[in-house]
Amino acid sequence: MTTESTDPVISVTDLTKTYGDTTAVESVSFEVYPNEIFALVGPNGAGKTTTVEILECLRTPTSGVARVLGYAVGEESRPIKQRIGVVPQSFHTFDRLTVHENVALARQMYEKGRDPDDILERLDLSEYADTRFATLSGGYQRRTGIAMALVSDPDVLFLDEPTTGLDPAARQSTWEQIERLTDLGTTVVLTTHYMEEVEELADRAALLVDGEIVAVDTVADLVETYGGDVKLVVDPTEDQRGELEARLRSVATDVYQDDTGNLVGIFEDRYDAQEAFGQLLDIEGDHSIELTGAGMEDVFLQLAGGTVGNRGELR
Amino acid sequence: MTRIWPLLVALSKDWLRNREAVFFAFLFPVILLLIFSAVFGGGAAEFTLHVQNNDLGPDENPTNLSTAFIDALEGVEALEVQSIPAGRNITEWSRQRGSAGATRVVVIPHGFADKVRAGSREARQSVILDTMTRAGGQINQTNQARIRQGLNATPNGTNATGPAEIVFLSASDDQAAPAIRGILSSVVAQFNSNAIGVETPPTTVVSDDLGSRNVEGVDYYLPALIAAVVMINGLITLPALLAEFSGDGTLKRLIATPLRKRDWILANVLQQAVLALLITGVMVVVAHLVFDVTVIPGPLAIGLILLGAITFTGFGMTLGSLVEGSDAATSLGMAIALPMMFVSGVFWELDLMPEYLQTVATLTPIYHFHRGLRQLMVLDTTQGVGVPFAILGVGAVLALVVAVHVTQWQDL
Repeated sequence: MTTESTDPVISVTDLTKTYGDTTAVESVSFEVYPNEIFALVGPNGAGKTTTVEILECLRTPTSGVARVLGYAVGEESRPIKQRIGVVPQSFHTFDRLTVHENVALARQMYEKGRDPDDILERLDLSEYADTRFATLSGGYQRRTGIAMALVSDPDVLFLDEPTTGLDPAARQSTWEQIERLTDLGTTVVLTTHYMEEVEELADRAALLVDGEIVAVDTVADLVETYGGDVKLVVDPTEDQRGELEARLRSVATDVYQDDTGNLVGIFEDRYDAQEAFGQLLDIEGDHSIELTGAGMEDVFLQLAGGTVGNRGELR
Repeated sequence: MTRIWPLLVALSKDWLRNREAVFFAFLFPVILLLIFSAVFGGGAAEFTLHVQNNDLGPDENPTNLSTAFIDALEGVEALEVQSIPAGRNITEWSRQRGSAGATRVVVIPHGFADKVRAGSREARQSVILDTMTRAGGQINQTNQARIRQGLNATPNGTNATGPAEIVFLSASDDQAAPAIRGILSSVVAQFNSNAIGVETPPTTVVSDDLGSRNVEGVDYYLPALIAAVVMINGLITLPALLAEFSGDGTLKRLIATPLRKRDWILANVLQQAVLALLITGVMVVVAHLVFDVTVIPGPLAIGLILLGAITFTGFGMTLGSLVEGSDAATSLGMAIALPMMFVSGVFWELDLMPEYLQTVATLTPIYHFHRGLRQLMVLDTTQGVGVPFAILGVGAVLALVVAVHVTQWQDL
């Protein structure tokens, strides 16, 4: 994961989209920089898909300004479409064409691009090249979508809910594929309601709630700013309790004993907690240590007043 | 434009691997062709007509004119004429006959020949007087008076007055009665025409044949079914596929590429046009193998088929854009296509339908489509095909304009 502070490839200023009396996106502003993985995070109905579909030139904004790769969205859709790749939410393509035929068709829609066979090989799809799309599993269908989006060698890749509906193994596999995209020099914009997906993949993230962005920053800074305290929970043996508590007090801002007798160390910084975690592990004995708290779940809880369920619902 | 070809190939592959679509496009029309042609395959449709000739001379033999009229009826290929003895009570005859086929009787009344002659003479005299009046000053008054005197002195030979009426009797539920009545009217018209200009009664009435070839049932149905299948593909199958592409996200994925809307529409139209030609080829081959039909569509017929495909595909793309879901698209397509198909005379001759429905038929593009194809493929003539070409040409342009206007390329 790398972040380079150069001119943004995407800049969005006061973007608003309404459908009749309903406001889907309201005065959204953010920037995306080259070669980063940027996540739009939020529950269902937060306006994530509407926002990316405006950037993909699939929807027209009601007001505001959005530029992709220097081109104005809504006015210069042709050059934008030539240089972006899109994997829509609930991606689908021609059922009765093979994986290779679908990827080759996608390639032929662009002026330039990569060899479909190379893309299939890169995404470990070669053995499914002659398999019809309809007969693929959900994970491989999604991977075919990524292949179709990458075959044009895009500067920016939009992934709308790339792992929704996938089983854990397929999700992990898709994450690995997405992480490798930055090796190609591709900037990735993804939408998701999975907080662990943001932690796993994203360099920066914007949190959307009810069509508005409530925070946008690097994932680390979001966690540090809004994630609250990090806790190190130690379950000591009685003969080690004294040594462990002393070591914990020397690095933590506060230490107390909870109802079960565990020692709990409070840290303001996750990195300090991780360092203390290593030090306590080095002490010989039969104790166990757990690092808890201060992730994107906590950030979202702090900013949105709730958590996002597995189906994307706000709880 | 370079994106049209790969998209056309992709659409065609996807379509050809769709069993339901292939069935309805290829096997269904072939099955229909086989069924309809087998049912009517023994030749042109033939109707049994009973004739009772009550116009007997002093020698109790039928008069020459009534015989000539019956000969004329027998000369019509679509009629199988059987006689009923003169003087027989028709009601009683019909009752005794029971359910042995449809009962249609033509009764030639006594005095038929006399009335025809009288009518013929009156008509000819009218012509002479009219000619004399028009000649005006070229014939002097004396000569005009002499001519009038001569005409009045011409022996009438009969006291008959009024038109010579033949009576056609049929059951009220006889579906073929209107068609037979139409045939009778044609024979009578020809008979009258001949009767005016000659002294001797006409001995034959030449019925108008459909063409130089011996036209059989399959010839009738082949062009009609080609037109029907092109329409079904355009108005029913295509909208369902388009709605499916739209509903499952396939179209959105394409719209996210640099593909233009007009290229998408053109690729679909071209695919359906190619498909129409393939279907035509298959049906012609099947008709040749099974029914020994030798017709091969010429350039004009192919052109008309392409125009039909463009017209119905264009309107099909519009339908596919108006509704969500392939089921709704199929229902809408069927609601439009099926009534048009049945009303337009694809499966039966328009003469069998009420007059107002015949008028409605002429307002449908499919009517002109299959009539034009029949002229070109079966009758091998270009006579009358200007109207089908004009209507489908305008229809094709209109359909494409509407399709481009209605198809959404943003905010799906």
